[in-house]
Amino acid sequence: MKNIKLKITLLLFLAPFYSYSCLADSGGTDWKPQIVEKMYVLPPQHLNKVLNNDFNKSILAVNLQNKDNIIKNKIDKINELSSLLPRASQEENLEIKHQIIINKRDYIKDMNDLLGMKKQKLVTKKRIFNKIKKRINLKSINSKHNNAFLENKKNAIKRAQNLDFKILESTSYNTSKKSKYFEQYQVNKNAINTLKLAIEKHPMSTQNILSKDPKNKMEAIRSYIHNIETEIAVLEMKEQIINYMAKIVALDAMQLAEKVSEINVNDVDTNTRGINDPTNVINIFTKS
Amino acid sequence: MIKLILNSAVVLIVGISTAAYANSIDALERERANTINLILDKTISITERNNKLEKIKLKLLDMERMIINNKNINKNPSYQTVKAFENFELTFLAHSSIERDKSIAITWLEKIGLTTENLINTRVTRK
Repeated sequence: MKNIKLKITLLLFLAPFYSYSCLADSGGTDWKPQIVEKMYVLPPQHLNKVLNNDFNKSILAVNLQNKDNIIKNKIDKINELSSLLPRASQEENLEIKHQIIINKRDYIKDMNDLLGMKKQKLVTKKRIFNKIKKRINLKSINSKHNNAFLENKKNAIKRAQNLDFKILESTSYNTSKKSKYFEQYQVNKNAINTLKLAIEKHPMSTQNILSKDPKNKMEAIRSYIHNIETEIAVLEMKEQIINYMAKIVALDAMQLAEKVSEINVNDVDTNTRGINDPTNVINIFTKS
Repeated sequence: MIKLILNSAVVLIVGISTAAYANSIDALERERANTINLILDKTISITERNNKLEKIKLKLLDMERMIINNKNINKNPSYQTVKAFENFELTFLAHSSIERDKSIAITWLEKIGLTTENLINTRVTRK
């Protein structure tokens, strides 16, 4: 009995700290995505897939899965212990309740770690999408400065392409007039056109139209960031739930402690009544 | 002695890397300047000039087309590159001459305002 009391006191002392542990680091190993420079140009949905694959290979993902399994086991154990309660004697009842509280405490700790890891994953993802957002912004600022130049270059390309036939005609009838560049130009140009057509006809190309345009890409990335922020907000709410759970466990522990001390006090009372209470011995004094 | 060799090696490496990153517009500009020199050269005969201009035109065509299709210059174009594309006719002389169906010499002279009509209208005056 004394042992249980000591454990409950310890539990009571520790319980309030679990509510603060939400703020502390989850303890899960960092996830550092192995994203190379070239991946930033990928369409957002592909990048998201790449990020998810990268996460699945990380230690954080393994830890997350392990923690999830531990939590499942804890829930099973709590349910099992709860099912034993109705058939237990008073002494066993106290011990089972004590075990339930310990398991609940561990569950809260593990769940808190799990939420921390989930949050870490989302924060890392958000950081990467924010990075991409910044890059796109920077690119659009630079392109604004280059707009006039690019327009001129586009016109130059158009004018040059219009002259292709003339140039080929003037260089083909005289072998001495053959140009190194134009010898291969037509061949390469035809190949490029064939490939361009194939790209346009490709089913995935039509699917990616949305992500090709920088504006749409930005929109897609913003929507990903918004989704991540929503998930983080939901996780923060879950952390609040964990806080409340911790409080309930603390209250349960207090209740149990009180019960145990009540039993102890009753034991002490009966003992003292037998020995020290003067009312019990009045008869002894009144007898002459 | 070793120091001297090292210094010269550094200078050589810097020289090589600079040459590798030289603006392709520079090469075109040099070739264009040679062409204009040839147009204005009075020491050679008309036939000789025409032959030389034909040869130079092919080289110019290649260089011009390579610059027009060069996507690398889109990133941070230099002031010189921006100006070159602003003046298509003067920069891309060979293309411009084919577009107008005129020789390079006439294309350049007309573009800088030296047309036959202008020259006929010019009066010689003494100040």
